[in-house]
Amino acid sequence: MTFDIQRVIESKRAYRRLLAQRPVAEKLAMLDELRDRTRAIRAAAARLEATAVRESPPEYRSQPPKD
Amino acid sequence: MSIAQVIKIVNEMEADGIVDRYAIGGAVGATFYLEPVATLDVDVFVAFRQQPAQTLISVRPIFDYLTARGGEVEGEYVVIAGWPVQFLPPTSPLVEEALIEAVTVDVEGTPARVFTAEHLAAIALQTGRAKDHARLLQFIEAAAIDAERFHVVLRRHNLLDRWRTFGRKFLKGES
Repeated sequence: MTFDIQRVIESKRAYRRLLAQRPVAEKLAMLDELRDRTRAIRAAAARLEATAVRESPPEYRSQPPKD
Repeated sequence: MSIAQVIKIVNEMEADGIVDRYAIGGAVGATFYLEPVATLDVDVFVAFRQQPAQTLISVRPIFDYLTARGGEVEGEYVVIAGWPVQFLPPTSPLVEEALIEAVTVDVEGTPARVFTAEHLAAIALQTGRAKDHARLLQFIEAAAIDAERFHVVLRRHNLLDRWRTFGRKFLKGES
């Protein structure tokens, strides 16, 4: 483990190269899994959005109310 | 629920003469050359069989064929094996050429026709959205395109200026 950003970037590149070299059938199966995960995350995010409590901002007046 | 099943069904559709020729593009096409790129749908480009008196291209025969085999229509998509699949006609000379020159790749015994890496990269450059630029950078970083072939495609489709602009913007310092 390192916090040297250059080494982190190079390690990510190496991992992506490794993935790119996997057999096509294996990569397509990964797409199936990635899609399932993306859908699950989106559904969870939508649920969170629906149940979030929001405070209405106060109404500001730029002019005094007319009597 | 897999892309492999989608490919099998699209192969059958071509063999049954519903379309003249198909090729996979988009993120799924890119995955044939790069690391897997997360996507929610499959883009299948198709050359349609033109009927003599037909002036408008219709996807109806494709939808009819696939719904008879369990596919479900959802807007512009047909959901096959759990994947929304969009069937797209070639909308530019570049995409037409990509469809003609697409290559067949063996996926565990199933042939899959896919755009070449050079055409996928050129289409990404032509389309030009942020995610297309990101994909083009992936192709370059992975050295997945043949530079000479890529430049021939760019020249043929008047994309060299756009390529130079892309280079100035994103490839500074790249060797």
